[in-house]
Amino acid sequence: MPLKREQGWYKDAIIYQIHVRSFYDSNGDGIGDFNGLAQKLDYVQELGANAIWLMPFFPSPLRDDGYDIAGYKSVHPNYGTLEDFKTFLSSAHDRGIRVIIEMVANHTSDEHPWFRESRSSQDNPKRDWYVWSDTDTKYAGTRIIFVDTEKSNWAWDPISKSYYWHRFFSHQPDLNYDNPAVREEMWNVMKFWLDLGIDGFRLDAVPYLIEREGTSCENLPETHEVIRELRKKIDEQFPGAMLLAEANQWPADLRPYFGNGDEFHMAFHFPLMPRMFMGLRLEDRKPITEILQQTPEIPAACQWCLFLRNHDELTLEMVTDVERDYMYDIYAKDKTMRLNLGIRRRLAPLLDNDRRRIELMNGMLMSLPGTPIIYYGDEIGMGDNIYLGDRNGVRTPMQWSGGWNGGFSAADPESLYSPPILNPVYGCQAVNVLSQKRTAHSLLSWMKHIIGIRRSSSVFGSGSIEFLYPANHRVLAYVRQLAKETVLVVNNLSSAAQAVELDLRRYKGNILIEMFGRNIFPRIGDLPYLLTMGPYQFYWFRLRRI
Amino acid sequence: MREIIITELIQALQELVHGFEHYLPRLVVMLIIAFVGWVIAYLLKVLVRSILRLTNFSKLSESAGASQLLNKAALPSSTELLSRVVFWVAWVGFVLLGVSVLGIVGLQEYISRFFLFLPRLFVALVILFFGSLAASFFSRAALLAAVNANLPSSRLLSISIRIIISIFTLSMVFEVLGVAEQTMLIAFGTAFGAVMLSLAIAFGIGGKDLAREFLERKLASGKKEEKEDELSPL
Amino acid sequence: MSGLVGHIRGDSNPRWEVELAEETLLTDDFLRQLINVGEVDILIGLSTHNNAKTIEPVIRAVQSGILKCFPRDRAVIINADGGSQDGTPELVIGASIDDVRSLSKVYALRTLHSISTQYARSPDLGTALRTILAAADLLRAKACVVVSPDSTTIQPDQLQLLVRPVYNDNFDLVLPIYRRQKFEGVLMRNLLYPMTRAIYGYRVLEPYASEFAISGRLATDFLTSESWNNDWGRIGPEICLTIAAITGKYRVCQSYLGTKAQPHRSATDLVAAMRRTAGALFSSMDSSFPLWSTITGSQPVPILGSPTELALEPVRVNRKRLLEMFAAGVSQLEPVFESILSASTLSELQKIAKLEVGEFDYPADVWARTVFEFAASYHKSVISRDHIVQALVPLYRGRTLTFLLENRDRSEEDIEKSVESLCDEFERLKPYLLEGWADRK
Repeated sequence: MPLKREQGWYKDAIIYQIHVRSFYDSNGDGIGDFNGLAQKLDYVQELGANAIWLMPFFPSPLRDDGYDIAGYKSVHPNYGTLEDFKTFLSSAHDRGIRVIIEMVANHTSDEHPWFRESRSSQDNPKRDWYVWSDTDTKYAGTRIIFVDTEKSNWAWDPISKSYYWHRFFSHQPDLNYDNPAVREEMWNVMKFWLDLGIDGFRLDAVPYLIEREGTSCENLPETHEVIRELRKKIDEQFPGAMLLAEANQWPADLRPYFGNGDEFHMAFHFPLMPRMFMGLRLEDRKPITEILQQTPEIPAACQWCLFLRNHDELTLEMVTDVERDYMYDIYAKDKTMRLNLGIRRRLAPLLDNDRRRIELMNGMLMSLPGTPIIYYGDEIGMGDNIYLGDRNGVRTPMQWSGGWNGGFSAADPESLYSPPILNPVYGCQAVNVLSQKRTAHSLLSWMKHIIGIRRSSSVFGSGSIEFLYPANHRVLAYVRQLAKETVLVVNNLSSAAQAVELDLRRYKGNILIEMFGRNIFPRIGDLPYLLTMGPYQFYWFRLRRI
Repeated sequence: MREIIITELIQALQELVHGFEHYLPRLVVMLIIAFVGWVIAYLLKVLVRSILRLTNFSKLSESAGASQLLNKAALPSSTELLSRVVFWVAWVGFVLLGVSVLGIVGLQEYISRFFLFLPRLFVALVILFFGSLAASFFSRAALLAAVNANLPSSRLLSISIRIIISIFTLSMVFEVLGVAEQTMLIAFGTAFGAVMLSLAIAFGIGGKDLAREFLERKLASGKKEEKEDELSPL
Repeated sequence: MSGLVGHIRGDSNPRWEVELAEETLLTDDFLRQLINVGEVDILIGLSTHNNAKTIEPVIRAVQSGILKCFPRDRAVIINADGGSQDGTPELVIGASIDDVRSLSKVYALRTLHSISTQYARSPDLGTALRTILAAADLLRAKACVVVSPDSTTIQPDQLQLLVRPVYNDNFDLVLPIYRRQKFEGVLMRNLLYPMTRAIYGYRVLEPYASEFAISGRLATDFLTSESWNNDWGRIGPEICLTIAAITGKYRVCQSYLGTKAQPHRSATDLVAAMRRTAGALFSSMDSSFPLWSTITGSQPVPILGSPTELALEPVRVNRKRLLEMFAAGVSQLEPVFESILSASTLSELQKIAKLEVGEFDYPADVWARTVFEFAASYHKSVISRDHIVQALVPLYRGRTLTFLLENRDRSEEDIEKSVESLCDEFERLKPYLLEGWADRK
């Protein structure tokens, strides 16, 4: 039964990012599937997430883990059938969990029937569905995104003896959005899924939809026109459905993707994420506050999407060279960890498996303005395998227990789609859902607790933010407010204990109530409010005037 | 007649003996007081000397320049001098006390006046001492400052300061002693005023350029002209 | 936190507040600022008094140096101000690079605090240095650099010439060697260097340094040393520090820097300079006699970097004036010199004072004996010690004149050789000093 789509539901969402393939294998073929996922929905519900973002599950040759799509209206047989998907969707909705799916709009696989037709001849009706050229000199100066594997944005097609444009892998030709037929068809695809009842789309690689000579071929006005068109149709026919932009851009360049509230509902705040890691190691809030100072206001109905890690490398595109070098030296000393101007590691290994730092980062994720996304496995502190190719090291099987294949699958371990993590620190014996469920002090239990607190108040999702700038630069402090509710968040980014004085005169007379333990702290007076904090400690205080 | 002479003689002799009998004990007392006083004064001297040595008074007076001054005056060291002064003041006091016992009329008054005078004498000596120290110190300081600032007639300046301080000291000494107070005050005032007036005239007219330069340097805090011939020493 | 007590009592006696500050060195407000800064790797100290004209370019150069050469390291600029009336502290604080002052166009990976404290109502170099060292100690700085607020010629790269030996090579004290016009730095070359070398046995070319780098270890030790209780520790902390480093178990080196920025000077500054240097040096000899009396000869101190070839404008000097001041000094101060110098030295000086500019010569051995006799007299306090130091100034002018005349046509290398031979003279005559030291008049 579809969940009633409410306007702005995404503002209070806690999104759990899942790759079907990696989550749970129900049929013993070594690959996760929708039936398996459906069986694990209780877990997602208990965790506290109320939305799932599914990574691509469409038919695909899987040369880019499903982002190379060979068919838009069905399910890859590895993961089950369309019926399986519908069953899963219904089960999710029954539990109050919304479902967002991936819509790779910018490109398809070169094995997609459309491309097969397009390349077959210059006169084919679908020729113009892709971007062709006789030379590879058009759109010169456009940056290459997968710098480690691609040398050019043009690839030679031996069949049609011409070049085709691809911003990603060469086996992922870009669709031509200047062609109305393409737009029409993509809308049909989206409508198909919306009719089934899904709650929203994450549009992959949106900045690159349109190309124009003499530009960077990113963020062009025409691209926004395409998006506005799509949004209009959604609002008319499927009000409440959500569009989430994946646009790895500077905040000022991201702003246009919200339009005047007539484009995307949500967008990932890419530049913030590496700066959170940077601020943590520098023990200085400056990178974090500065990027947020540069973040423009967005329309009231819109929302930022925040995340710590995801299926991709920790991108360092939107940082300066000095910052990138710093991040590499600190977080990716081993060059094997580096990929495409990023670092392909999971949360726990990045933070040296330090529980306090993991908690602090999640605390910031849950309290900064935006909708948080939790990458599957990070809630139990899963590790990674940097020796697997591409970004597969952060897409290893979910660890449910310490038993056979970590409880992921009953198949032979050798037949799994990916080897599980086996080392004594992060392996399934050490890190798994079952053992963490048994202890009240496990990371999983803590994550449930903090998600619960986050969901207990709309101030985190919908409230305003005002930064306090205490003179102690190791402390990041801000006030969230919504209507009469005020929450003070104080984070110690340092590995050492800190004393900090906060100027809270505006809130004089309020008593502070610490939200985790619900104990009262002294009332705010005229003097600066002195707090002493342990290493990596953070406080969430509700302000109450009694 | 012979009997009257003998009787008178015997009477006179008796009066003499009587008088002698009357004064002898007092003389003895006076001598005893003087002797005891000498002992006490000596003990005081030793005590004062030990205290001054313990408190390193000689170092203090050396750094104040007193030692040099005493040296020049061919006086013993400050410690020794002070202890000797204490000795003499104490012993003279005791001796005078002894003399007062003799009961010589008229002398009593002089003795008590002398004792009243002693504190003032002491104060006068202290003023004189410190005044000399100050004169020496400040005149030397002025000399050095004037030489280093390349002012003309630095010696003159130094001597002038020494004279002024000395005159001032002497005036204070005389005033304390109560010797020709009024005369000294008037004389000092006149002399001082005259010196000041002449300095003012000389400085004002003759040294007005120098004065202007000095004031400019002090008031114009931003503008410090680099002298071409001033090398930086460091 | 006695300063805090003072505030609570509401005692508005300013003299008491300042006394408390001196007593505890760190006011409550400064301590609070230090808490906010936290542990740092590099601390740059600036002691100021009415330096509003020059302080901003100096701070910008320092910041550029840090951002260029140490972008990832935690650094702080600490200003110890002696009661400026021209807004110097406000300029320092305004130069902070952080997320509050979003006006700062400078890009920095991390916050670079710039904080200020008033340590007294009037300048006192010793207290200023102590305040900076106390901050370095509390913040556990690995390297502490003291920069002069007049250093308008400082280049961003120069900072690392001072810092790297401490930071990377574990030196405890890095003293600068400046590139100077050949007639500058006469006091350094003719008195301080030869004297320090002869007395303490180390060839430190510039023992008086207004800019230097010091390790956290030496900063902490020096802070707790007894020398602050002496006059000389307060008057001449720079020399004090150099001597403490070379006589203690510390690694000292020297580093070539660029040109030294010379602030405008007037004649009175020479007396002040003499106090800070020669006065402090003489004073140090008092307390460390057992140490230096047995030292003979001297050993080199490592020199890092290489001298820069710079064309420097010649300075015009009025030689006649120097001679006049020397001669006037010798004659006018005769009664003073009688207390300080031996009869033979004094009569030699009187002969020299009669020479014309063309034939003027204040020979090295006479100069060495002069300085040693002054040192011995200082030790014996024949007159007020400050007067002894002041009395040296006119004689120094005479020596300056000789230095100028001798080296007028010489190259820099030859001048260095002549300075070395002057040092040899000082070393040779050290027994003369020891004799004079022991004699009592």
